[in-house]
Formats: sequence, structure tokens, C-alpha cells
Amino acid sequence: MSGHSHVRNGLPVILIAGWVCLACAIRAQEPSPGALPPAIQTMIDTTAPIAEPVVLRIAPPALLAAVDAPNDAGKAIDLSWTVSPDDRVDGGVTAYRVYRSKEEGNGFVRIAELAAGTVAYSDRVQQEDSAEEEAPPPDAAAPAVPTADESHPFEIGVPYYYRVAAVDTTGYEAFSATAGPVRSIPQWYHSGKTPVLVLVLVFFVLVVVLIQMAKIRGADMYIRPIAGISEIDNAIGRATEMGRPILYVMGLGAPEEIATIASYTILARVARKTAEYRTNLLVPCNEPIVMTIAQETVKNAYMEAGHPDLYSDNMVFFVTSMQFAYVAAVNGLMLRERTATNCYFGKFYAESLLLSEAGNIAGSIQVAGTDEVAQLPFFVTTCDYTLIGEELYAASAYLGRDPLLLGALKAQDYIKAIVMLVIFLGVILISFGNEIILNLVTVNL
Amino acid sequence: MNKKPEDIKVIIATDCGSTTTKAILIQYDEQKKEYRQTHRGEAPTTVEAPFEDVTNGVLNSIQELSELSGIELLDENNRIIKNRSANRGCDIYISTSSAGGGLQMMVAGVVRSMTAESAERAALGAGAIVMDVIASNDHRLPHEQIERIRQLRPDMILLSGGIDGGTTSHVVELAELISAADPKPRLGIGYKLPIIYAGNKDAQQNVRDALQDKVDLVVVDNLRPVLEKENLGPARDKIHDMFMEHVMQQAPGYKKLMSWTDSPIMPTPGAVGAIIERVSQMNNLQVVGVDIGGATTDVFSVFINPEEEKPVFNRTVSANLGMSYSISNVLAEATLPNIARWIPFPIDERELRNQIKNKMIRPTTIPQTLKSLVIEQAIAREALRLAFLQHKSFATTLKGVQKQRTIADAFEQTGTEGTIVNMMNLNLLVGSGGVLSHAPRRNQAAMMMIDAFRPEGITILAVDSIFMMPHLGVLAEVHPKAATEVFLKDCLIYLGSCVAPVGQFKEGKEVGKYQIDLPTGRVEGVLQQGEVKLFPLGVGQKAKATFEPSGKADFGHGKGIKFDTELDGGVVGVILDGRGRPLMTVPDDKKARIEQMLSWLENLNVYNMTELRKLGQAV
Repeated sequence: MSGHSHVRNGLPVILIAGWVCLACAIRAQEPSPGALPPAIQTMIDTTAPIAEPVVLRIAPPALLAAVDAPNDAGKAIDLSWTVSPDDRVDGGVTAYRVYRSKEEGNGFVRIAELAAGTVAYSDRVQQEDSAEEEAPPPDAAAPAVPTADESHPFEIGVPYYYRVAAVDTTGYEAFSATAGPVRSIPQWYHSGKTPVLVLVLVFFVLVVVLIQMAKIRGADMYIRPIAGISEIDNAIGRATEMGRPILYVMGLGAPEEIATIASYTILARVARKTAEYRTNLLVPCNEPIVMTIAQETVKNAYMEAGHPDLYSDNMVFFVTSMQFAYVAAVNGLMLRERTATNCYFGKFYAESLLLSEAGNIAGSIQVAGTDEVAQLPFFVTTCDYTLIGEELYAASAYLGRDPLLLGALKAQDYIKAIVMLVIFLGVILISFGNEIILNLVTVNL
Repeated sequence: MNKKPEDIKVIIATDCGSTTTKAILIQYDEQKKEYRQTHRGEAPTTVEAPFEDVTNGVLNSIQELSELSGIELLDENNRIIKNRSANRGCDIYISTSSAGGGLQMMVAGVVRSMTAESAERAALGAGAIVMDVIASNDHRLPHEQIERIRQLRPDMILLSGGIDGGTTSHVVELAELISAADPKPRLGIGYKLPIIYAGNKDAQQNVRDALQDKVDLVVVDNLRPVLEKENLGPARDKIHDMFMEHVMQQAPGYKKLMSWTDSPIMPTPGAVGAIIERVSQMNNLQVVGVDIGGATTDVFSVFINPEEEKPVFNRTVSANLGMSYSISNVLAEATLPNIARWIPFPIDERELRNQIKNKMIRPTTIPQTLKSLVIEQAIAREALRLAFLQHKSFATTLKGVQKQRTIADAFEQTGTEGTIVNMMNLNLLVGSGGVLSHAPRRNQAAMMMIDAFRPEGITILAVDSIFMMPHLGVLAEVHPKAATEVFLKDCLIYLGSCVAPVGQFKEGKEVGKYQIDLPTGRVEGVLQQGEVKLFPLGVGQKAKATFEPSGKADFGHGKGIKFDTELDGGVVGVILDGRGRPLMTVPDDKKARIEQMLSWLENLNVYNMTELRKLGQAV
């Protein structure tokens, strides 16, 4: 490395040697093979005797710029340059070598070797897991893999100087001017993620505003009626008139799954209504913890309805955790008890059709809701009413009329509408070659 | 009555109302081979003290008939002469009654929106005023329900609940509630309250055990044997029977009146409903009828239920919407701006309120000035509109029924809350009641009905000339042919046809093109948004017409679909209403609103426009 430090000090010598060499060549009228224009600055091996003439080989890369990498945690410095004029298909540049130093004039260490044609490099903190990564197989067409010197790791916040050398077939390096000092600084704001920030802010403002509106307007805030939810009352009424129980199935979901949580809210509503109507409710469970929560939910609902005396722990019971054994048990229950109304809300898999088809044959009114998209067609065809996908979650706000839930639901709907509008406009504009919306919403990570 | 229908040539019918008893004479025209209403008599009702005998008023009104027609209808003992001979006597005498408040009932059912609603529908259809509906889920505690039954003292209770084979516990609970309340009838002392049980057949014995000793219990078929079907006929018939046997027996003079009539006395609204239902059936029409009174507004309708594809009759009583006693309530429910939007001159809020309150405390006054008339008719529009809204929310498909779905229904799931009232299918709109029947110009009645009911597509408008629908309703039970003929020829005064395209249109845009072949020549042109046009077409006349709607407009055959049709005439003519449906909102700006109203009123020739414009300037 010390050899490189000689290059700058020996510049007049090089120039003189070059002129001597050129004059001799002209005088002898024997052109040197591989001679280059005198304007091109070349590098010579400082270990070579000064007196010997050096042939000018390749031009160095130019306009080297080193800047702190934007929108990061201060872990990188971005370098860019223009390629050497000799970097062409039949040219002499075979690679570029990137050198880094903490001092301006010396102490440069090679940190990467890049394929010819490369114009940028990002000097960054080495990833901890990079050592574990498998090296990619050698490929002649692919750019050379940077060869960072592990003994000189990149340090955040340290001012660095950089040089880039073009390398020819003989290993000669033509150095660019030094760039720097540049220090890597962490950024507080990632400007590439501005669209995300804007969307989050809009959503936040909408949520706050709509929650306030929900508080002011109370239950008057309009939510598109969901036929399945509206009809639950009628389905319970039907069971009451028929003098038969109501079956509520919470699916096979774990207690913490969102679909199961949404199901608790609907169960609370159904239980309140069954308490009001004084109709029997059956909740067979597939999961012991779900059963415990469901028991509490139903118990509270009966208390709220003013009929705690009508509640019994036997309403909510555990059957089995095995999927098809559970189906067999619930189907048997439907046929024995001749349930007038079956509600299926939660996570459902293959049992969806087995359950709802049995209910359909038994002549029960059935209302279902799941976020398992694959099961929806089965529910739609066998049930009287089906809550599709997110309607299951919306049901909580719809039933509870809680300002917080209402406001959040409305805000989500508005954001969805905005996103759909942006997509629609973007597609239209892109079709006409206008990328204004695309640029506005593109997130640069 | 043992006479054959073809032997019946002279008919006397009376309607004993709360204030007046109205008698009509129907005679068979041998030359034209048709029944026509020929004369009308009216006398004060005498059910209250000091007379306390309803027959006095009946005889007085018939006496007037006799004098007007020159036919001797009463003998020397003041009895109706039944053995008809030349210029003497009648063939049958029939009557309806709403005197003494009509038939006041309570109904009870298990679920409010199911069996209780069916029971309410049965009671209303029978012509009763439903005072309250008790249900298991009406959010009242048992002691509150008992208290309510005791307070109201209905004439009759209809108890239902449970499908056949369904719940018994809920029904028995209701029966026990009634038993605990031990209700007493409104009229008469010492007789038991009639209760009709039309619920789950499995609960009949339990209900008997609970009620038999305390009330006069009658059991009929379940009015909701399955949730998918209503069977209101038996309950409705039994209500009529019980009305005759019990309620009428207790009212002063009714026992005597019942001995005179050749057919059971019907409650007045029940009779109106019966004639509307019959006319609808016979002519395959979908009909809306309205009777706007001083205290209440009755709305009747027959529409095809899209699920069963059968005509369904519905009646609602808006007990708090009327033109005198309830007029303040109209103001409260409709709000002042909604009433003011129909008034084509500036009016002070206080003045409007004063006029409304004056009408309430002096219910028999009628408008003496154009200004009062316009205000009264503006209030009537709102009363009718609100009553019809209530009717629409009641006339729905049955709730709690199963739905069969396919995957195509995934995003088209509709509930069972939908009304069966589809204005586009409405053929005939009949208005009745003083404010409509006695409007100085028939154009005013037509405009009020269009503004309140907002018919869509092509609809025939008519008003009841002298409120004889009750008479014809009871006549329809005895002689349907005579009732229908008189209804179509004498009862109804045809106002004409209203053509109202559906859709909301931009201001000044074209709604559609029309071409009408009137007897006076062909008229054609373009109907613009917000425009109302009137073309004269006399009673009994018909005109061929072609309508070519613009893209968004639907004249009754679909959006933008051109079609030929035939329009019926009337005393008003053919009205083209380009205001769109839902009806365009009138401008907020007072001046613009008044100009807009004046242009509509002028085009329809509703008022004396010179006077009306003067009124506007004077104010």
C-alpha cells in the first residue's frame, strides 16, 4: 500500500519520463505499440526504477463523488464516478478498485473491486449475517463481487477519503482524484417513504375526526347495513316463534385470532337477544380457552339483558379439538335439537360446508361470516346470509355502535376509497404516459 | 237476506260516523243495465247524549234520501220499508259504523316483527284501531304490560304467537299477562271482554286454561301457521263477528240498527279496505287508497308481494296525522320548513303556527281565503307524505323466512325489511277525506296527491266524490257487482293520469320526449327537468301516447326505453311531472323556491294565479 503513497510525490518525475519516452519514440519514428495520448494521466508502479520510461496505458475514472447515503441509519457512503474513456468492449479497463482512507493523502486501503463498466458503489457497514451467506457461484458475466477488507471495517461517523482506480489487464491502476472527506450520518427522516407518512397522517386525522363525529352524532352515523347482521334479530325471532334453540358455532380458530375475537362480539349480541327473547342458546366449542371466553361473554350478555337467571354454563360447552369429530358432534346436535337458527362466525376450514349443508337440510336459517376466503362460496350457497371477509370485523362496530369502533371503521373505509381512487387514476394516467401519480406514491426504500 | 242478487234493484247504505251519518241510495238503471248511486242524505249522528240512539241519525239521513229521490223509504212507524214496490221501499239496507271511536283493539304476539305484526295486520285489515301491540320482546316488563292493558280498556284483544308446533311457553305467558290484567271492555258493564286466540294450535288448551274464566275467549286458526305464510282471514272474520256480537251490542241503539240491516255492520275502515281489495282483485290493479280525516289518516294498499307473487292487502292508521285534531302533530313531525316549502309566498313562522293551532282548536272551520287554503293544502301534503311513509314501512315482506341462495347472490344479499310498496307498479291512487274530496279545484287534489305520494311511471289519480267507499265496502259483501259498478262510475272522480319519470336529472336537462294524441289534436314536445305540464283529457277519454325517455329516465318500461301506451283522462287531464323521482328538492333560497312553486302551480292550473301572485306581493 505504501507504493501508492509514492505516486503523488513522484508526479514530476513521471511527466519528465513520459516526455523523454515520447521524444525518443518520435525521433526514432518508430511508434510504440500501445502508446496513449500524452494528455492521459497514467500511473506507474513506484517500485519500478524512475529512470525507465513508462508506457501510458489507460485513463482513470473521473468525476468521483462521495456522499453520505440518504435515508439510512448512517451506515453507508455512496460513491459515483464516470467510467474511464478506455472502459469499452475492446478497451483496456478490466475492473475498478475502490480505495478508502481516513487521511487525505495516504493510508488508502482497497475496499472493493468492481467489474468494468461500474459507475457506483456503496461503502457500508458489513451486515452481521453476511459472513454466513453463501457466496454466489462465479459468473463471468456478472459484476465482480466487492472484496471488502475485513480488517478495515466501515465505521459510522468517521470522515473518509475515497479514490477509484481503473485497472488494466496488466494490473496497472489509473487513479481518479481523491473525493472527501465524507462522513456517514444517520437521517431522522426517510424522504423515500413520504407517501407512507402522508397516508398514515391522513388516516390518523380521519380516525380522530370520525371518532369525534361518531361521539357527536352517536348512533346516527351511517354504516352500510349488512343484511346478515340485520337479519340476526329475525333469525332469533324465528327460533323463538318455532320454540327451538339457536346454535352458535365459533369455528376452529385459536382464541387470539381476529376472526375469533370478532365472533365474541357477535356472540355477545346474539346472547343478549336470546336472553331478551327467552330462547335457548347452544355454543359448542372446539377449543377450551375459546369456550371459557365464550362462557364469560354469554354470561355478561345475559346479565346486561336483565336475565341472569336464564343463563346456564351448559349453554357453552367444549366438544372436542379434533376437526371432524367436532363436525360430527355439531351436526348431530343440529339434527337432535332441530335448531331453528345456526350462526357460524369465526375461522372455518373444510368443515364449513359439512356444517352448513347439514343445517340447510335441517331447514334452519343460517347466518355465516368468516375471513377464510376459500370457505365463502360454501357459506354463500348454503346459508341464508353470509358476511364476506371484512364484514365480519365491521360487524363489531355495526353491532356495538361504539364511537371508537365506528370512527375507525369509517376511516378505514375512506382510506380504502382513497387508495382505490389513486389506483384508478394512476392506471388511467400511466396508460397515457403520465407518471405523476406513480411518482407521487412510489416508496423508495 | 234471502234475495237473489239480480232481484236487488234499490239499495240503501248508511255510514254512521262520529259526527255525521251519511246515507246513499243506489238504484239499478234498467235501460243502461247498471247500478248507479243516485242520491245522498246526511244527518248528525245521534249516538251520544242526549239521544243515545244511533238509529235516530240513520232515520234522519234516510228521510233526506227519501225526500230527494221521491221514493218512500220509511213507513209511518219510521221503519225502513223493505218490500219494494213501485216508488216505495228498498230491497236491502246495509250499514257501517265508526261512531264512538270505531273498533279499538289491542293485539299480542310473541315476536314483535313476526306474529305480533301479523296480528296487527289482521286487526287493521278488519278496520280496527290498534291501541297497542304487546310482544315478548317489546322491552317492557310484565307489570308494565299488565298496567298498559288495564289502562287502555280495548274493545277486543287479538292474541297470537308461535307457529303451529312452535313455542307454547311464550304464548301462555302472554295469556297469563292478560289474565293477570283482567281487562274490562270499554263499552258496557257486566259482559266479558272478547279475546280471539289465533296462535299456536298446541297452546290452545293452555290458553283456554289461563283465560276462559275471565274473558270471552274464541279460538280460531293460527294466523301464522308457518313463518313463511300468513293466514289472516279467519282472525279477520272473527273480529267482524265479535264486533257485531259484542261491541255493537253495547253501543246505544246498535242492537236495533243490527236488526234492520241485511248484512253485518262493518267497521268503516274495514269496509273501505274491503272495497279497495275487491276492486283491485276484479280489475287486476295495484291500488293505494288514502282517507285523510281530522284526527287520523288511513292508508290502504294492494300490491303484489314479489316473493309470493300474490296481491297483499295492507292498511295502516296513522292515529296522529290529521287535518284538525292532529294538525299540530303534523307540524311537529313534518317540521315547519317541510310545510313551508309548499307555500308559494313568504310567510311568517308565527303566522303559520297560529293558523295551524287555530285549526286544531276550531276543527270544523274551513279555509275562507286563498291564503288559508294554500296553507291547509301544504299541511295536507305533509300529513299524507308521513302517513304513506308509515304505511310503506309496515307493508313489508314477511320476516324470519328462509332464503335460498346461489353463489350469484354473494354481493346481492338483501334482508327481509323491504317494503312491497313499489310505486312504479301502482295503477290507481285514490284520495278521500275533506281536504282532497272537497278541494275547490280538482287540480289541487291531484297536485297534493302527486306531491305527497310521488307516484312513479304512469298512475291514474282519483278522489272519492262523496266518501261512499265505506258503503260500497259493505255492499261488496252482499252484491259485489253493484258495489264495483258504483265504485268505478260514481264513487270515483277520475282526475286523470300522472306520468312521472324515475331518475334524478340535472337542471335544465331533457327528461324525455312525448307525443300524445289528444282529442283536440296531437301534442308533442320535450319534458325538461323540473317541469310540470298539463294536457286536458276529459273523463272517460283515452289518448294514445308515445314516450321516449332520455338515457337516465325511466317512464315505466326501463331506463331510456321508448314505448307506446294509452292514457286515461279525468277532470284534470294528463299531468307530465318532470321533477324526477326521488322528487327534486326545492331550492333553499326563498325567492327561488317561491318562483319554482309558482311555476308548477301555474302550469297545473292549481290556483287563481293572479290572486296568488298578488298575495305574494302583498305579503
